[in-house]
Amino acid sequence: MKFDVMLTGVGGEGVLTTQVMIARAANIEGHYVRGVQLHGLAQRGGVIPTFVRFGSEKEVSSPGIMQANADLILAFEALEAVRATYYARKEKTTFVINDYSLVPIYASLFNIPYLTMSEIIRRIKPFAKRIHVFKVSDLGREKLGNAIFGNTILVGVVTGIGLLPLKEDSLLEAIKVTAPREMENNIKAFELGLQLGREKRSAR
Amino acid sequence: MKMDVLEELGKKVVLLGNEAIVRGALEAGVGFVAAYPGTPSSEVPMTFSRIAKKVGLYFEYSSNEKVAFEAATGAAWSGVRAMTSQKHFGLNVAADSIPPVAYTGVRAGFVVMVADDPSAWSSAQTEQDTRYYARMFKLPMLEPSNPQECLDYTKLAFDLSEEFEIPVFLRTTTKINHSIGTVRLGEIKKPKIRGRFQKDPDKYYNLKPHLQVLHERLNEKLRQIEEKYGQKLNKVFPGEGKIGIITSGVSFEYAKEALLELGLKPSIAKIVLTHPISKSFVSNFIKDKEAVLVLEELEPILENFVKQIAKEANPNLVIHGKDLLPKSDEYNLERVIPALEKIFGKKFGIDFNDHKKKVDSASKNLTPRKPILCPGCPHRSTFYAVKKVFGDEAIYAGDIGCYILGALDPINMQDFVVSMGAGIGVSHGIGIVSDQDVVAFVGDSTFFHAAMPAILNYRFNNAGKTPLVVVLDNAITAMTGHQPHPGSGFTGMGEKVEPVKIEDVVKALGAQVKVSNAFSQKQLIQALQDLKSIKGPKVLISRGGCRLLTRRQFHAKGLAIPTFQIDQEKCTKCGICTNDFACPAIVKATVEPGGEPVYSINPDICLGCAVCVQICPEGAIHAVKKEGEK
Repeated sequence: MKFDVMLTGVGGEGVLTTQVMIARAANIEGHYVRGVQLHGLAQRGGVIPTFVRFGSEKEVSSPGIMQANADLILAFEALEAVRATYYARKEKTTFVINDYSLVPIYASLFNIPYLTMSEIIRRIKPFAKRIHVFKVSDLGREKLGNAIFGNTILVGVVTGIGLLPLKEDSLLEAIKVTAPREMENNIKAFELGLQLGREKRSAR
Repeated sequence: MKMDVLEELGKKVVLLGNEAIVRGALEAGVGFVAAYPGTPSSEVPMTFSRIAKKVGLYFEYSSNEKVAFEAATGAAWSGVRAMTSQKHFGLNVAADSIPPVAYTGVRAGFVVMVADDPSAWSSAQTEQDTRYYARMFKLPMLEPSNPQECLDYTKLAFDLSEEFEIPVFLRTTTKINHSIGTVRLGEIKKPKIRGRFQKDPDKYYNLKPHLQVLHERLNEKLRQIEEKYGQKLNKVFPGEGKIGIITSGVSFEYAKEALLELGLKPSIAKIVLTHPISKSFVSNFIKDKEAVLVLEELEPILENFVKQIAKEANPNLVIHGKDLLPKSDEYNLERVIPALEKIFGKKFGIDFNDHKKKVDSASKNLTPRKPILCPGCPHRSTFYAVKKVFGDEAIYAGDIGCYILGALDPINMQDFVVSMGAGIGVSHGIGIVSDQDVVAFVGDSTFFHAAMPAILNYRFNNAGKTPLVVVLDNAITAMTGHQPHPGSGFTGMGEKVEPVKIEDVVKALGAQVKVSNAFSQKQLIQALQDLKSIKGPKVLISRGGCRLLTRRQFHAKGLAIPTFQIDQEKCTKCGICTNDFACPAIVKATVEPGGEPVYSINPDICLGCAVCVQICPEGAIHAVKKEGEK
């Protein structure tokens, strides 16, 4: 078994912490885990493509995911979902997108307008088995006072829908050790997401 | 966050490659660690810094890599297991002191960890292949493939070093350092932290003619290491057919997975001891093969070695490597699979080129998102003021730090970047031979690391048009993750120390100095104009804390960062705040398609530096009033 998750977003959004959460949950379930975080220069407001892979040690060895091979793509910033198509293909990949924009200054500097959500979805469609869109940053700001909790909400959402093959308990345990300072809010965020995800699943 | 790196024996945890290196050193009982941060190696010292007190070892952030190497040498000579870590360019700085220590050898285990950066994820200069240093300095080098091996081989490197009394390189690449992986932990050994230097001319006296004795001893050590560890450390994974794979480092991980994807099972030889490479190991592997593919990033070092050995062991062997794969950039599955397709004549299910074309078409006219100085960054304010005073024509010398991002649009104020401190040194030459205005930017950590001799040289050879040095002082090594330096006021162990004032050093070096608040445009411009008319060595210290740390301090105190908003009545949509000042928190967006753009400040990312308030010609930006405020 092998499951490939890509997380993408903008430096400073907390993408790396989310990667560690998922990696720890997979480890708790006894999976062999690999992945890579690309920081350094990119961390300063640039794109942060991040990977977590888990499964059997025999099948998982490269730290990064192969082109066109992600099972699940979590885009914490909407536009970055389009750049992530490099790792996606129609037969395999589910996109879960946070409807949240961080408009780069290059939009006004080079006069290249930021895409609308419907245009983003239109462009992703040829690479996606399914696309889900949630406003988790708005929800984080509204319910928990900070947009950054959108990350943990999104992890809850994919668990609730059943898109991430890991158990709720393992994720909860991973969240507790990964974000001890904001544990209460992160648990709330995860549960909020779970509920959203479950509603989505039953509505199918 | 929980420190998995300190978990108990037998546990399986997920570690970053860099954390696994630290764990390996702890299991080897390392007692002394000195380093200067440099990404992709930065998490090694950062992790040591967090745990040093708890574990009971000595850790320091040294003022540069050379100093760190020397300090660790002193500890290893005195019988304490020592380690130093750096990125590839850091090793260039340390390089001056390494060869003599290779000759003298060490007493306790000494591991020199170095991180190369193929693809330059975290570097701006080159894709240097540090494996050449092992050959030039005649030191053994080990290369892990994943976090588990980071732990195992760091530990082993200490034993190897101590057994042969020789410093040992542990060489990694970004995709090792920053990759995560499941690691099974061994036992942490209580570190020995006290030792004693014993005088020993036979070991340390490296002048002629004893120098040649030491050199021959070093040659003999390498011969013995090759003999004893060449077979033991390198591994053959037996397989089918007459075509073999020879690889090392992260390329082994790609090879393994790519072969599985293609359904191929050739034998693989994994080289862990990449210097000295075992002749007998390679010879045995290639003798019955018809062809081999050598998979290694950057330079064809293994490949050339195989070619050399094949002349005797198997002259008809077909050797592939850099004929099919590039010498620049990093490898990945998409690069390795096509090379395997060619050699084995097997087709993979996905056409990467076709997929890439589809992706390019979907990504057409996509707003770029390059890295950029953070919202609230004091450097943005300094760059803005300097450009106001010196204009577009002045030459702007760059250097290594966050301010390297000043190279990008719309700032464009890093006309060249060479190495730590080099902006000041190069500017001196420009100032002597031309009459151009030159401004050399340097960070605070970089100032202490390598800039002082260059400023001193202005004073010593005070000719021509002396460049203005601007020290961007945020009191921390920000780019690599906020490590302290001599001016920060605390050490790598978290001990308070009296911070060294950059202005005191500058004065002692013989330059005139002015200090300005980095967040005050008025102060900056005044100071710059004053300095512009002065002849001789001159330095502006633009001082303002890294806003990411300010935010952290505010949060810790339970305070909210002040945020700002744009008064739509007053805004004339001139675009200075987005197109010239370019703070990423200021957004220009069109609400209705084809409609008028609206400028606003994103409260999620604004860090409240208030410089936009000062640069807006209409006075349209003001602090958001809290409820009840007037």
